[in-house]
Amino acid sequence: MAEKKKRNISFPRFAEYNCAFKYITEQALDARYVMPPVLTKRTMELGAKYSPDFVCTPFKTILGSMIEALEAGADTLFMTHGLCRLGYYGELLEQILRDLGYQFDFINLSDYDMSKKKEYLRIVRRFDPKVNPARFLAQFMEGVRMVEYLDEITAEYYQNCGFDTTGGDYRRAYQDFLTAMYTARGRRDVEEGYRAAKRALRAVPLDKPQRPLKVGIAGEFYTVMDPFSNLELEQKLAEMRVEIHRWMNVTNQFIHHGGQKNMHVKVKDLCAYEMGPTATANIWWARECAERRFDGLIHIKSASCTPEIDVMPVLQNISADYKIPVLYLTYDAQTSDVGLMTRLEAFYDMIDMRKKVL
Amino acid sequence: MLYYRYRTLWRTFFQELGMEVKASSPTNREVLEHGTALAIDEACLSLKIYLGHVAELIGECDYILVPRVSNFGWHRNMCTRFEALPDLVRNMFRDADQAFLSYDLDVLEKRDEKSAFLEMGRQLGCPVREVKRAYKLAKKAEQAHNKERVQKQERLSKQEGLKILLAGHSYVLEDPYIGRTVTGYLKESGVIPLRADLVDRDGALKRSRELSPTCKWEVSREILGGIVQYRENVDGIILVSAFPCGPDAMVNELIARRVKGVPILNLVLDSQTGTAGVETRLESFIDIIRLKRGTL
Repeated sequence: MAEKKKRNISFPRFAEYNCAFKYITEQALDARYVMPPVLTKRTMELGAKYSPDFVCTPFKTILGSMIEALEAGADTLFMTHGLCRLGYYGELLEQILRDLGYQFDFINLSDYDMSKKKEYLRIVRRFDPKVNPARFLAQFMEGVRMVEYLDEITAEYYQNCGFDTTGGDYRRAYQDFLTAMYTARGRRDVEEGYRAAKRALRAVPLDKPQRPLKVGIAGEFYTVMDPFSNLELEQKLAEMRVEIHRWMNVTNQFIHHGGQKNMHVKVKDLCAYEMGPTATANIWWARECAERRFDGLIHIKSASCTPEIDVMPVLQNISADYKIPVLYLTYDAQTSDVGLMTRLEAFYDMIDMRKKVL
Repeated sequence: MLYYRYRTLWRTFFQELGMEVKASSPTNREVLEHGTALAIDEACLSLKIYLGHVAELIGECDYILVPRVSNFGWHRNMCTRFEALPDLVRNMFRDADQAFLSYDLDVLEKRDEKSAFLEMGRQLGCPVREVKRAYKLAKKAEQAHNKERVQKQERLSKQEGLKILLAGHSYVLEDPYIGRTVTGYLKESGVIPLRADLVDRDGALKRSRELSPTCKWEVSREILGGIVQYRENVDGIILVSAFPCGPDAMVNELIARRVKGVPILNLVLDSQTGTAGVETRLESFIDIIRLKRGTL
């Protein structure tokens, strides 16, 4: 009975990264993690109902996911800060949820000055006042490693899954890997899950032509990575026997290229300054795709995403200079499957024909 | 877009350096239509108007000034659009034979306004001493101008009558084609329009924390501070924003949820050419306030 009351922490659904949030919460913070239910149409409807009209779509998704997490028993919600509107998500989300009558503890990174290292410990102490910083850091780094593995396997998966000859083994191997990550309880589980996935994916026979169609994906941070938000664009396109190359993921954006100062040097001729939080990376990647002679590029963003709208003129110029077709997709809360399918099929037919002619 | 905020600073600076300053003509329907044709469909109304103005100036000047204003420090950012503006314009007009001038204001990266202006002066090939002197004079003129406007509004707020506070960005409220129609109509109806952003900026930044502790946009914080300062004094608040303004979409929602006891109208301006729709909404808002006060 005298057992210490553990926090029930939750963070909204974001692609498959919740396995790492779960790992860090359970292993590093000694708290319980409440996994928000998988994103569904209901999540979106809940979010859209209580959000302001023309806020970006991820806000609506996140609000819906937070409501579902609270329904599932979370008592502590965590929200990140950010360089665009994301930085203001936290305060408005909290206000909307409190107005709805929910009771919870809200930890918002925007309350802290993240440029100061001292603040990090204060944040961790908010979760768990008795935390051992050394142990926390060690376990946190394990979570980071999980993110790296996840991104590596996911990238490999979308590059190859369209050429699976067995009718589903490749996909099953990927699903098994995700299950392993979601249930990992220690370093060994993570490592073994990763190696098993590598072996399993390699064992599946692929039927890949010598020069497959290659499509690069760039775009706004949340929508480009979250399969629910982009209506499983990558899976759909891959199944048309296309190799998908997406640079943007948590590993590349934050762990390997934090700050992107050096990357900006390479695109100085296209834009003199940093145009927005993910602008440099997207412009660089778009040109990289063009220079590697990919067959097409898809630019993804949520409705009214300011930084990505501002990047589009640069991409249009890259498209004109390198003669690479670019498909611009905007997602909002109502986007239906069918419309996307039509546009993807048309895009596929176009790049396929183009490849045969050129 | 920042012309209404910085016009004194810019004008004085360049005139002191012996240059001629040419501003585009006031916004009208052609400017907006031209800008709309150029811009990405989803861009905000203000950007469309801005691009229309840039297009008008192409070929008319040696340089067109398009500054990059990123932030003034921690939690003092501008909308990311102001970060992207110079590159956006350069990429959009790259086929036009036109030189653009820019300065980079980014305090988090240790480039404050003064050093940004010195750098710009160097680009123009002016002697450093001259540039320093021009900046000092320009800054002085700007501060005097701002102070005068704030004092004028304070006097206005002490007058008797129905007072309505307008909360919106200067490039919306002062634009002759969009915002001026709102203030014009209010004046015609015998209302005293006050502006939330015409307040002492430092004080407003501090006061904004009362309403929203983590708001990170400089201009929005000034407006929030203005609302805190004036909310006891006015009969109603109109939140004016341009469709679809990113920061306003969130901040105005928060204002509507946190400011209680004052009637609030959320007015979103878009590129419609008629003013009848806006006038109807303003009229009914004023009627409601008058009904409440018993003076209808």
